[in-house]
Amino acid sequence: MNLLTALAIGILFAAGIYQILRRNVIRAAIGLVLLSNAVNLFLFSAGAYNGQSAAYSAAAAQISDPLPQALVLTAIVISMGGFAFVLSLLYVISTRYKTSDSDEVKGLKN
Amino acid sequence: MNTWLLLLPFLLPFAGVPLTLALRKRRKIQSVLALGLMLAALGFTFGLLRAVLTTAQPVSIQMGLWQAPFGITLTADPLGVFMTLMSQIVLSAGLIYSLGSTEKVVQYPTYHPLFLALAAGLTGAFLTGDLFNLFVFAEIIVISGAVLTAIADDAYGVEAAYKYFYISTLASVFFLLGIGSLYIGHGTLNLADLAARIASAPSAPLTMAGMALLTAAFLIKSAAFPFHFWQPDFHAAAPTPVSAMLSSLVVKVGVYAFFRMTTLLFPHVQLLKTLLVVVGVAGVIYGGFGAAGTHNVKRMLAYSTLAQIGFILVGIGWGTPLALAAALVFTFNHALVKAAMLMLAGAMASRAAVKSASFEVVVGVGKHHPFAGALFLLGGMALAGIPPLNGFISKLMIFWSGVEAAQYIPLLIIGVASIVTLTYVIRSFIRIWFEPNPKAKEKAGDRLLAPALLVFLSLLLGVWAEPLVALSQWTAAWLGDPAFYIAAILR
Repeated sequence: MNLLTALAIGILFAAGIYQILRRNVIRAAIGLVLLSNAVNLFLFSAGAYNGQSAAYSAAAAQISDPLPQALVLTAIVISMGGFAFVLSLLYVISTRYKTSDSDEVKGLKN
Repeated sequence: MNTWLLLLPFLLPFAGVPLTLALRKRRKIQSVLALGLMLAALGFTFGLLRAVLTTAQPVSIQMGLWQAPFGITLTADPLGVFMTLMSQIVLSAGLIYSLGSTEKVVQYPTYHPLFLALAAGLTGAFLTGDLFNLFVFAEIIVISGAVLTAIADDAYGVEAAYKYFYISTLASVFFLLGIGSLYIGHGTLNLADLAARIASAPSAPLTMAGMALLTAAFLIKSAAFPFHFWQPDFHAAAPTPVSAMLSSLVVKVGVYAFFRMTTLLFPHVQLLKTLLVVVGVAGVIYGGFGAAGTHNVKRMLAYSTLAQIGFILVGIGWGTPLALAAALVFTFNHALVKAAMLMLAGAMASRAAVKSASFEVVVGVGKHHPFAGALFLLGGMALAGIPPLNGFISKLMIFWSGVEAAQYIPLLIIGVASIVTLTYVIRSFIRIWFEPNPKAKEKAGDRLLAPALLVFLSLLLGVWAEPLVALSQWTAAWLGDPAFYIAAILR
């Protein structure tokens, strides 16, 4: 299980970084989502193996650490807001520049 | 009483977000309310500073009454109060500028709520005692700053916001990875508790990895060389009052985090300090020459921020009490001066024939505005470090601390590079105020009250530098021993 989790996190990171480096802005946005999910999984695994049952429900020895779960919850909300903002930016960019290629979006260069 | 003094500087702008949003149909009341809340918050920050100074102890609250290592702690220690005071002075000036601004963006119903969200994020980031809480406030700053730039009058605002948002989301990824790594190694996120545990087990698993990831995140946030490439675009495309905040305050969140990292969390890691000196020196060189080579006043000032952040990082990297005090004085003075200069550049751009800060457009515009010229010259002198302006005090202290720490090679490089500041400031002054331009006509533009106030403050802090220097030295002495901070939070 440990190996599986580690592999899943690693693959998500690799896929996210690969996609974020693509020229297509939509693929880059997908890469952003993959990256933030990889980080969430990493945070979650920080407290995953110390116990199985929820806090306040079982004997003290088996309670899992609730803090990483709370952190992940906060991070999910923040990344969702950020992703919505990125999509709205992409909408404006695509109507203004008529392209999905980030190399064509170069108004600031001049 | 002290509890309220700590809560109100943060709570007032935060409560102002929904309040001003509800008043979106009544623009005049909305903008005056935003300014009123900000000024009240500034007043309470002065009260907070007084409380911290008289007791020589940080004021702190445990949110939800969970005791220190478990709950979220809000703390006003000397460093936090110092940075909050700086940001609230400049934020108030930014709202005063927005009142008299001719840009369309200040008429947007969401402009003032977003500005107050930026203020709340900055205040919260400086006053929190919890690493994850710092991440949340940094995200509030990123999102409100990016949205404010995306709605700018500048046609390229969206592009700049896109660029910034991507790079700072990457910074957030690094930040979260760093937080996770430190949590795995030490099982806590409270800064004081984390510092105590790192000191007792410096080789716990993933501690160094966590430090490296946090360093990467904060180098991006403070736009230090070589992570600066988005910064000139972003700061030049933002609306004038917002770009003044971004260039003077938002980059200081990264600087603040480096103060905390080198003095509280990782005081034993020499490598981090060396890295900061190297990055800072590179930034001073690159930012200086970058500023000399641009064709846009706002862009020039954004590059200059890169150089000035370099000076501050060098001071933090040297890490002696005098160097830390110098870095603090530099941080404070740079915030005032850079905000004033960007506001003046924006005010001149608003008086040009086409609304742009490019040199070809603003050349000669200043002919009819000698008062703005006097302010720009004073601000430029402060930027270059000429007495009797406050910039002289900050550069003097940095050089003095370098001599004291016997760091002659970096000192020589930044000394030579700082002469470049003088050339680009004077060149831009001559182009805007002395070159003839038949197209330039007398035209009403943004009001000059806010930059005048900031320049006056710079002049005051140059002539009467004693209070700021004493406060910085006191703060640096506090930073010198992390045991004070740990004992005050975990008592």
